[in-house]
Amino acid sequence: MELESKHFKSLYKEQIKNQQLRSNLSKATLQAVDKRAESFEEVDFSFLRDEAKKIKQESITHLNEFLSQFEDMAQKNGCKIFYAQTPEKANAYILDAALKHGVRTIVKSKSMVTEEMELVPFLTRNGIDTVETDLGEYIVQLANEKPSHITTPAIHKSRKEIAELFHEKIGSDLNTDPKFLTTEARRVLREKFLSADMGISGANFLIAETGDVVIVENEGNARLSTSAVKVHVVVTGIEKVIPQFSDLRIFMRLLARSSTGQKLTSYVSLIRGPRAKEEKDGPQEVHIVLLDNGRSGLLGTEYQDVLHCIRCGACLNVCPVYRNIGGHAYGSVYPGPIGSLVTPLYYGEKNAPDLPFASSLCGNCTEVCPVGIDIHHHLLALRQEITSSKKSSLEKFLFRNYRKTMLRPGRYKMMGKAARLLSKTGLLRILMKSWTNERDLPEFPSISFRELFKSGRLD
Amino acid sequence: MIQDDREKIFGKIRSGLRGYQKFTFDRSSKSPLKTTLAKNFGTQFEKFKKELAILGGEAVVLNGHSSISQFLLSHIQGSAFIYDETESQFEAVISKIKKSREVKFSSDFENNYDKREVAIFDAAISTCATCSAETGTIVIENQMRLPAALATKLFIIAEPGDLIPSLDELFTDEFRNFKGSNLFLITGPSRTADIEKELVTGVHGPKEVYVIFFQP
Repeated sequence: MELESKHFKSLYKEQIKNQQLRSNLSKATLQAVDKRAESFEEVDFSFLRDEAKKIKQESITHLNEFLSQFEDMAQKNGCKIFYAQTPEKANAYILDAALKHGVRTIVKSKSMVTEEMELVPFLTRNGIDTVETDLGEYIVQLANEKPSHITTPAIHKSRKEIAELFHEKIGSDLNTDPKFLTTEARRVLREKFLSADMGISGANFLIAETGDVVIVENEGNARLSTSAVKVHVVVTGIEKVIPQFSDLRIFMRLLARSSTGQKLTSYVSLIRGPRAKEEKDGPQEVHIVLLDNGRSGLLGTEYQDVLHCIRCGACLNVCPVYRNIGGHAYGSVYPGPIGSLVTPLYYGEKNAPDLPFASSLCGNCTEVCPVGIDIHHHLLALRQEITSSKKSSLEKFLFRNYRKTMLRPGRYKMMGKAARLLSKTGLLRILMKSWTNERDLPEFPSISFRELFKSGRLD
Repeated sequence: MIQDDREKIFGKIRSGLRGYQKFTFDRSSKSPLKTTLAKNFGTQFEKFKKELAILGGEAVVLNGHSSISQFLLSHIQGSAFIYDETESQFEAVISKIKKSREVKFSSDFENNYDKREVAIFDAAISTCATCSAETGTIVIENQMRLPAALATKLFIIAEPGDLIPSLDELFTDEFRNFKGSNLFLITGPSRTADIEKELVTGVHGPKEVYVIFFQP
């Protein structure tokens, strides 16, 4: 599988030129950062993070036991469980379930795992009308684009661009008011909910103790996608399992605050299974598809805690790199600092050799991570792995010589003279073209400090 | 039939974790809240009301059946869906509404009812399992799923005893064994900020949420 993330360098160069994108991102992410800080005023963030980290640590180091317990409980509750190592296998299972039930329309709520699987294009190619129902996802689907943020998929689009898109695709008036645009989406999607036979959702948490699937959202589309259908398919990663129902008192307080700066999202659905005999609505079948897709490869490695991620997107909002280049530049389903880790770790460094370098290493991401993933140190470690795996490079040669120069005063003096001469003639800039493409090269002074000192011109 | 990869995945997990130290977490009972609410209805209601108002919802305390029906009638323009449990608990209220508004009850619907039949209501009126003051959250258990998700306005009639101070009291053994196939937490109207981070309410779910605490 070849990913676009392989071409990060050319992708980000395109994106960084887009002033509108940078302005949209800056406004949206800075607002999110302020809201997040405000929302944590009532609770002890350090305590919550510490507890969440420990719960996740327990979940992951006992993953086989908790996954097995979840499976038993969910099956007892009437759910069907399917394990898939690859997106292809998961897609095939879901298509098969849809065909068995004669499904023509599927309503889908937000799920990053289904983005990994490219599930919507797959089902559409197979003749099933599959509609994204989260407003942001719906916008990017209409625009034939990919989400550019984990929790705010259309963060890169302005209201004007969305109004033009709605005008072209669903015949709305050219009105840029977000309230109007939202009402238009409600009108179109309500009809889809009423005609759909199958709903697909992700899961924020799977509770081993009870077999519950926990879905958090704000719009109500996940509630409808999981209720107004005959068949509900949950698609999620194997790492989403947590041990106990009571652990939600920690995660519910962390997730919404970290993600959108809310104390709790508008809706939280705990789904225990298909409708019971005495219930009049709800799906008759609930399938839970558990995807591996590279996750198990992280177990036992120094990067194991990357599996703790609850996909809140807080690290994206505080990242100066993300704020300037946006999500599409990463060429991956998972953008931002966490995406720069997850992408090479899930798909191999060859597929994303430059992503670990897409960070200023300022540590903002680690500071806001609600489950305590040491993101920037992991990025540094990945950089080291990537760099040391390169057999020879100009950079290595230069740094070796730089070291020698700094250790020998005579050599330092000689190199200084050479650098000043090359700088004066403009040759240095030409020789270091690839370096100066992405960095500033300071002007060298016409004489060295040593010469200045000797001449007595120093105060 | 497509064969799943259970054994392969469990094999990989076991092999990855082989020799890795397992971590067992001794759960703390400490609340992450910096301040705890006094255990009286008045304080908890004020907090609940404040949190719900921030989200665009409204909470009121009403004293008699007639004031509840008056409140409901002044807010409901079209037809209303009423959950059976609400009718049985607030018969006097519901009978007044029935006189001037078109109403339907859960019992009016068969299994596998047509979804379009419940997409027409202006309002859904329900009781709840509990309400959490910390976040202004309503918890609904064991009810028809669609009416409360499709109506334009949602009305919850609760009793003072339904109010709990925080999420600490919600995620406990009592609610772990909830009735039915799902537990549903509602915190204000349906909302989005997907367009330039501007908040809009009423995306797919109710645009308005009201909670009436009935104090006889």
